[in-house]
Amino acid sequence: MPAADVLVVGGGPAGCVAAWEAAAAGARDVLLVERDRAIGAPVRCAEGVGSAGLREFLDPDGAPWVSRRITKVILWAPDDTEVVLGTHDVGYVLDRTRFEPALAEQAARAGAGVRISTEAVALVREDGRWRVTLRGPRGDETWMARVVIGADGVETMVGRWAGLETRVAAREMESCAQYVVSNIEFDPDAIYMHFGPSVAPGGYAWIFPKGVGIANVGIGVVALRADTRSARQYLDDYVALHFPGGTVTGLTVGGVISGVTVKRTVSDGILLAGDAAHMINPLSGAGIITAMKAGRLAGRHAARAVREGDTSARNLQAYHDDWMRVLGDAHKLYYTLKETINKFDDDFFNRLARTVNAIPLQKRTLGRVMTTALAHHPTLLPVAAKLFVQEFC
Amino acid sequence: MPHGTRHRIAVVDGELCDACGLCMPLCPPAAIHMTRRGLVVDPVTCTGCEKCIAPCPVRALAMIDAGS
Repeated sequence: MPAADVLVVGGGPAGCVAAWEAAAAGARDVLLVERDRAIGAPVRCAEGVGSAGLREFLDPDGAPWVSRRITKVILWAPDDTEVVLGTHDVGYVLDRTRFEPALAEQAARAGAGVRISTEAVALVREDGRWRVTLRGPRGDETWMARVVIGADGVETMVGRWAGLETRVAAREMESCAQYVVSNIEFDPDAIYMHFGPSVAPGGYAWIFPKGVGIANVGIGVVALRADTRSARQYLDDYVALHFPGGTVTGLTVGGVISGVTVKRTVSDGILLAGDAAHMINPLSGAGIITAMKAGRLAGRHAARAVREGDTSARNLQAYHDDWMRVLGDAHKLYYTLKETINKFDDDFFNRLARTVNAIPLQKRTLGRVMTTALAHHPTLLPVAAKLFVQEFC
Repeated sequence: MPHGTRHRIAVVDGELCDACGLCMPLCPPAAIHMTRRGLVVDPVTCTGCEKCIAPCPVRALAMIDAGS
């Protein structure tokens, strides 16, 4: 029976980096399995990443998986008042159909095996290891794994099989729809975020450039806060209003979990990483770099546990603790902020936009915008101050 | 479910569903499964709670009568 030190389920950013790091950290038999026919597709994402986070993993300069370099953030209030945030090295809009294969290639170079069209369909604990049934193009195959890393997205089955609580409350699920729209006019060096309950209740609308005149235009809404329209209907209305002359060339839909990390990301021989463990910035919905950072920790801790000959939950708990220190605790803070922002009405956002526009451009940062917003809510000032220091300075 | 009471369950419209999996973690009894042919609701496990209906980005889920 084939055996793996570390078996990674899911070939997204979390899984690819987990396999890469586990192999690089010395785990001998590492296997990455992806259910779909291609690593990186279908794209279920706005594809934006911050520059600093990305550079911890790969060099974006001249990389074929970059669609667009971003130097500006533009916030729109419900009445279309525009706030331009300080221009600098903001980040990138990726081509994820090429980005994830580049990550998988790194995993393979480090020594991991990669299999596409292969789905984990069952997970059973047996003699201190996991018996994993993999269903591939040539039928079922049984593997024995010392550690299984569940990087299998919002729909995680690894989490369920391992008995970890990965269910999501409806109020913490953002329903998203996104079109690729071409022949439209906007600043191709900027990402746009459009706020306000009348625009996107519980979420925001976005324009993330793929090139000049072509962008991912999407919207995320919390159904419990929305009217009777579906996310796609919100998007249709949004595009009709703002880009009536655009040509829609692609549609993607999906869920973004806007809660905090699940209480337990670890079980005996199990680690959950990325969306599977609800590791998403609940304020921005950003999840790519977040997932990669989780994958890096998961891969390293899996390799360590195998090396130490102890893959118990107790020994893997250090993964969870490290994650909380790196980002998990910050997500709790962002969650509090998001809850506050959800209470704001359109008028608040409109007034905020005008207030922020009075700050000189070079001093305008996202942190400044947040602190200005929260100055109207004195109980949250300590939170805002912490955010300002931690994240945006 | 008392005997004789009509109850309702969720079903997936395969034509509309994009298999994004958003509904799966919303389902309290984990009745929604990803298959090679798309998402499927297990009619036996579904409790008819409707938590999956509104969040679906393309409204691919609907409630139907499951009979008595």
